[in-house]
Amino acid sequence: MEFNRHISRRLHEEHDATLTLWGRVEATLAAGKSDPALLKSAAASLAHELDVHFDFEEKELFPRLAAFGEADIGELLAEEHTTIRSAGRRFIELVRSDPGAAELKPLALELAERLFSHVQKEEMSLLPMLEDLVDEEADGELTAAYTS
Amino acid sequence: MFPLVARSRLLPMSLPFRYFGAAVVFQVAAWAMLFAYSSDFVSFEGSLGPAFAALHLVTLGVLAMTAIGATLQLLPVATRQPVRSLGAAKLAWWLLVPGVALFAAGAAAFAPQTMGIGAMLVGLALAIYAVLLAVNLLGARGMKVVVAHGWGALACLAALAATGLALVARYEHGVALDHGAFRAAHLVLATYGFMGLLAVGLSSFLLPMLAVAPAPPAQIAYAVLALAIAGIVAAVLGLPVPAALLGLAAAAMHTASLERSLRARLRPALGPGFLLVRVSWACLVASIGVALLMALDLAPARAALIFGLLLVPGWLLTFLLGVLQRIVPFLASVHYSSAARGTPLISALTPAPLLAGHQVLHLAALGALLAAALTGEAWLARAGAAAGLAGALAFASFFAFVIVKVRHHGIQPPHQPAPA
Repeated sequence: MEFNRHISRRLHEEHDATLTLWGRVEATLAAGKSDPALLKSAAASLAHELDVHFDFEEKELFPRLAAFGEADIGELLAEEHTTIRSAGRRFIELVRSDPGAAELKPLALELAERLFSHVQKEEMSLLPMLEDLVDEEADGELTAAYTS
Repeated sequence: MFPLVARSRLLPMSLPFRYFGAAVVFQVAAWAMLFAYSSDFVSFEGSLGPAFAALHLVTLGVLAMTAIGATLQLLPVATRQPVRSLGAAKLAWWLLVPGVALFAAGAAAFAPQTMGIGAMLVGLALAIYAVLLAVNLLGARGMKVVVAHGWGALACLAALAATGLALVARYEHGVALDHGAFRAAHLVLATYGFMGLLAVGLSSFLLPMLAVAPAPPAQIAYAVLALAIAGIVAAVLGLPVPAALLGLAAAAMHTASLERSLRARLRPALGPGFLLVRVSWACLVASIGVALLMALDLAPARAALIFGLLLVPGWLLTFLLGVLQRIVPFLASVHYSSAARGTPLISALTPAPLLAGHQVLHLAALGALLAAALTGEAWLARAGAAAGLAGALAFASFFAFVIVKVRHHGIQPPHQPAPA
């Protein structure tokens, strides 16, 4: 889907990067291979996702959806953020402190699935909705807020 | 995604799932009917009887039923418009289910009056659905490709209902009309028209979404739509050769554009369902190829039966089952998400061995029925119907599994990669 707003495009690009990285993680683990460097990279990317991307959506975007009568969309995505945050923090901690832990592989596979599913939902509902709800001025403000 | 609609647009899980559930039951009934009367299969030429009943259990009971349930849930996502009346959506189900049952029972029992009552109920249900669809499309804001296909499907639905009622009037009251022409138009409008355009339109965003892939370019999707509509119009006007050529071009372009899209996917594993989708595409192209041979008088014996097999169970039913393998767990997962429980993992709602078994049985059924149609051997038809019935029961088990699983939760993290 083509996005006209800068903020939608920015989030979309981050989604693509997330899916590409976690697609590699999933394929590597499913093949029974071990790639500590890849898991470190996934953990670093996930930390940005949880701290920046999720926070921005929760503070800046979901309230705007609510103001336009679409609060439930934000609620659903925020619920998923909570679940992904919980699993994600554990994953980051394990990659740093105990990369050989047996728990790491199933946790990474769970995260990959949750991230794929979550991004699919945002791509199909959140970003198209932003195209409707955000005007040029707000687009500039949001983009500045996200990149600052 | 979908519950975004379901929640903010108040479409509860029970609404699409009642349609899916009815389709599951009607699929079992269709294969059971075919199994019980499999000796009629190789000589079936479209006249009333159990084979005709089984055909309509599939077209109305499975295909139309699922199309309504799926579009009620999916179209609001694509069009950014809510379903306007939940009551109307429920009423359509309450009319459609007994309508299909009466129609099929009447057809199987050679009882046109019973069929007529069923047809009226089905017609009313489809009319309600058509209004809901039209209202949704009128206010549509996003995904113009899907909206354009929706309008095409709606136009075909109107013409389909008219030709269907005319055919029932002929059976019931002996109304004089060109039966062959009406029957051919009815078939094309129902399959390539209403069901086909919905399937093609929704495919352009649903399949890339499931595969985590880019959608095909809009220009190609519009070209496919234009070619398909031209082909449908030509077929309805009694111009089979141009119709088949236009249809072949549309089908080839549609499948090639989606294959290109799937190749660019971000998630390596396609997951379950896509083998069935690909087989369905092959059947779509083959069905039009057989239609072309028939139009050129080059077709083998029982070509009409082969054509019907490739078209209905081959393309439409196989496609729909492939997609349902994916969207039933997906929808269930999102509907049961909550702050307290979290979101169930889709992989935990996807019983891979059961779905693999269903896939094998369904494809075996198709293969055996095609072999029966080619050779005229009734035992092959019986074997195919048995495999189809077993496959339908496996699919029903999958549906029940998902319902039970989401209600009981206790979902564990996966130890294998999940379907995309």
